[in-house]
Amino acid sequence: MGRFIAIRLMHALIVLFIVIVLVFLVTRLIPGDAFLVAVAASGVEVDSAKTVKVLEEFYGLNKPFYEQFLIWLVNFVSGDWGESIGTGGDVLEMFLDRCPITLQLFFWATLWQFLIGIPAGVISALKRNSRTDMAITTGALIGFAIPPFWQAIVMIYLFAVLLPIFPPSGYVSFAEDPMGNVMSMALPSMVLGTSGAALLARYVRSSLLEVMSQDFVRTARAKGLGERAVVTLHAMKPAMIPVVTVVGLIWAGLLGGSFILEFVFALPGLGRMTVDAIYQRDFPVIQAMLIIVSLNVLFMNFIVDVLYAYLDPRVRLR
Amino acid sequence: MTGPENIRLSGGFMVLLRALGHAIRHHRLSTIGFFIILFLVATAAFAPLLAPYEPYEQDLYNVLSGPSAAHWLGTDNVGRDLLSRFLYGGRVSLLLGLVSTLLAAAIGVSLGLLAGFKGGLIDAAIMRVVDAILCFPFLVFLLAMAAALGGGLINLGVALVLFGWVFFARIVRGQVLLVRELPYVEAARAAGASSARLMWRHILPNTLAPVIVAITLGIGNAILAESAISFLGLGVQPPTASWGKELKSGFDNLELAPLYSIVPGILITLSVLACNFLGDGLRDALDPRLRGEERR
Repeated sequence: MGRFIAIRLMHALIVLFIVIVLVFLVTRLIPGDAFLVAVAASGVEVDSAKTVKVLEEFYGLNKPFYEQFLIWLVNFVSGDWGESIGTGGDVLEMFLDRCPITLQLFFWATLWQFLIGIPAGVISALKRNSRTDMAITTGALIGFAIPPFWQAIVMIYLFAVLLPIFPPSGYVSFAEDPMGNVMSMALPSMVLGTSGAALLARYVRSSLLEVMSQDFVRTARAKGLGERAVVTLHAMKPAMIPVVTVVGLIWAGLLGGSFILEFVFALPGLGRMTVDAIYQRDFPVIQAMLIIVSLNVLFMNFIVDVLYAYLDPRVRLR
Repeated sequence: MTGPENIRLSGGFMVLLRALGHAIRHHRLSTIGFFIILFLVATAAFAPLLAPYEPYEQDLYNVLSGPSAAHWLGTDNVGRDLLSRFLYGGRVSLLLGLVSTLLAAAIGVSLGLLAGFKGGLIDAAIMRVVDAILCFPFLVFLLAMAAALGGGLINLGVALVLFGWVFFARIVRGQVLLVRELPYVEAARAAGASSARLMWRHILPNTLAPVIVAITLGIGNAILAESAISFLGLGVQPPTASWGKELKSGFDNLELAPLYSIVPGILITLSVLACNFLGDGLRDALDPRLRGEERR
């Protein structure tokens, strides 16, 4: 097991390095324009070519490429994420400010996914080829194909405009108004959780179906156990193992989905911050967010790999 | 059915047609998917004939009007006919999805073939870049590219290709590793076939089945991605219509004209769903092990 973890960790570190280089290269394509935009937006009458030069010096863009990379990397690791071009604020502080909102959204969306996805998959597998199964399978396919922002619009129209139950957009902090906080999170987290729930339902269904056709399940039935006991005591546990592998996928989906849903629902979280940064070509913010997002996915995949190997010894021995 | 060992590229095409026929005849959902795609492609192709108005024709006296006999789906915020905009928008969305996916497939298949066949350092280099790109959620990657390259239809297409090739490379590499060791490849090698000939004539055709499935699913994903990026204003630019862009304009006028955003959303969902249905059917038809099993 130790050897397995070491190999996976090495692999993850190599990939992380390539990611960091890619992010650095891509974001270096951005500047220039960003400064012109910032200078124009400031409304101060200045010689813009000269100002851009001063700014480039300030952000260290006049140094050789590899030097820029090293300086940036060392700063980033030591917690100096630079200053936003748009707001002038410290990027790390901005990140920590916005983080709780996005995490709340993730928390509710995850809860929603598991509460819907797993039971739906189990019911669908146990009632294979029935009407219920058809309905759940088709529902999962649709849930996977719907553009989340469109689903959001429909939900806003139905449950905020026609039937004003939830607020159409905006954020209320928990400290200010706990109930209002939950209400403001309800629609966005439901939409964010939909595709994950659909994915979970599909995986749970096929995994449970596979397990149910195995010899040990037949044995359990043959010794006279009731169907309920067969499923809960024997089939469920091995059926859940492959499901672990989709958690990484779902997590990446949450990160991607929150970018656009925070925009639609006007939630001032990390996604909204990044989209705003992209509009302003605010590269220190974009850079930091890209690293964070990919680090997250990488970390999640690593955990999933290790967990999977722990749960299923066959993987370790390969 | 020809065995997979002796099909060539042209034979591969026949296999694809046969698989398509099989999927459409025997797999109920892919029948539905196929006809939805046919319908959407036809309406997009014949948009100039079908559209009752020019998509850019403004009528400022008739802004955000609801559905009427003159404008079946109403008009937008500068009085353009929505039905016509959606028909023309379909051209942009579908074409972008198709072209970017095919380009991504061409690049991904070539690199995957190379990685799987050559192995060693080339393989390691290509696959680590693949892993690195896969660390970004799809949308986040596209947004980053929009920031780096700027918005617009062409740049969005470039970004879609830069992300999409990764999946094809992965699939093809895996297939090549399986096929490479089969006796018929060894026989061809013994008969003196060059590396290039081995790759293109003997190995490639036998890796194509999952690629076809991935193309079908990829088109759906690309359509979804286009709509998301255009929704954020970083894709297709005005005055061009695309489903994603119309959806955004509709969202800005949600209370006055709900159909404005609801219809393009339905069109996007339908096309993605149709691609997924057809992809599932093709997967079953191309994999003989699954054939004859449960038919949904």
